[in-house]
Amino acid sequence: MSVKVSGEGALAQVLRDGVHSDTRSAVIVVDLNGENSISSLTELTDTHIDEIYEQPMQRVILALQEAHSTNCERIVVVVPTTGMSGGACYAPQAALAESARILVKSAARQWGSTGITVNAVAVEPHWFSIDANISGPVAIAPRSLSNEVSPVGVVTWLCSEASRDITGQTIVCDGGLWM
Amino acid sequence: MNARRLENRVAIVTGAGQGVGEGIARRLAQEGATVVVAARRAETGEPVVESIRSAGGQAVCIVTDVSVSESVDACVAETIRQFGRLDVMVHNAFMGGIPHKLEKAQIDKHWTPMSRTGVWASLFCARAAMPHLIASSARPKGEGGGRLILITSPSGVEGSANIPLYSPAKAAQRAIAKSLAREWGEFGITVNCIGPVAGSPALLTAFDRNPALQQAIEARTPLGRVGDITDDIGSVALFLASDDSSFVTGQTIICDGGSFLGL
Repeated sequence: MSVKVSGEGALAQVLRDGVHSDTRSAVIVVDLNGENSISSLTELTDTHIDEIYEQPMQRVILALQEAHSTNCERIVVVVPTTGMSGGACYAPQAALAESARILVKSAARQWGSTGITVNAVAVEPHWFSIDANISGPVAIAPRSLSNEVSPVGVVTWLCSEASRDITGQTIVCDGGLWM
Repeated sequence: MNARRLENRVAIVTGAGQGVGEGIARRLAQEGATVVVAARRAETGEPVVESIRSAGGQAVCIVTDVSVSESVDACVAETIRQFGRLDVMVHNAFMGGIPHKLEKAQIDKHWTPMSRTGVWASLFCARAAMPHLIASSARPKGEGGGRLILITSPSGVEGSANIPLYSPAKAAQRAIAKSLAREWGEFGITVNCIGPVAGSPALLTAFDRNPALQQAIEARTPLGRVGDITDDIGSVALFLASDDSSFVTGQTIICDGGSFLGL
């Protein structure tokens, strides 16, 4: 069964190519672009807030509603860990990531009685072009695993029947950087 | 007798015309701060100012719509014009919170008011206050210290079944606080959040309408009550505004009597 993946960029394409499921599912990759960092908050304009936070967040809300209206049983929202860690010069991007991640919990609470599961996967910031040299370190220690990390496996599992008892959770898939 | 902890400091508290903001304004004023009661309507802000003054404190009301960046900028500019400094910015004002079904939620009706007053306004307040908070932190030790305090909610951590879009607006504030804590650390400014459950007018009205709600909240709370806006919530804000918290930044203090223990 095909999985609908919404969102742009390399990560969305990787998931589009790699995720398959036995259950009607939707994957929402948050439209977050780390290339537009703000070097100082005094440079932040209303237009920045609208483009970096407001419009992408509204798209997350609408994508969740579409997933519900098309009877998806598994919904997965993919965000960078930047929402949990914060990021210097990335305040609106971090706000977007954390808003989307916590909205997952609200959706899980409301839709759980109908069997719909809603979960988040938090991935390494580089997937969203967030520069660790600007944002500051994600964690106090280096990444635990040295191999290249792909979120395809964990997203596939969250889209499957096997994960039917898991909802409202965030699985961090970054090789053990953020703990 | 100890010197008051915020003597000579100037604080802006948004949404201070009632509820949690009022409690914070009162508590900061008790400790010597000159408090700007930034309220959307003078009808709510002025009585708080009068009450603070009658208790021996210093306060003024500046009518402010936090959802409009120019209004926030004007509030900060007027504060500087009147008092010459700004040490503490507390963003508490918030509008929205209508119960809804997520699948039927309307952006304009259910999301925009909370996004504008929660997320956008946090950035407006931070941006407007930033140069003055830097100046405060540059003062000699004990004479200043820039503080940004954002009022979030336990729902910003755990989600909400009744008001699902409330949670992301409150979650954003925590991410903003962490980000700015990183960004402003070099200046010595601290940025933190408080997640209160307090006896605000809205909650007390809800209790009057539905006594079972009060019983349910008290039953799930280890301390068995909701917080007092001044003594409980205001005192946490005082800690975060004072020199006592100078090494605390990027954090959220959930002040709810122990109801939420998930951090």
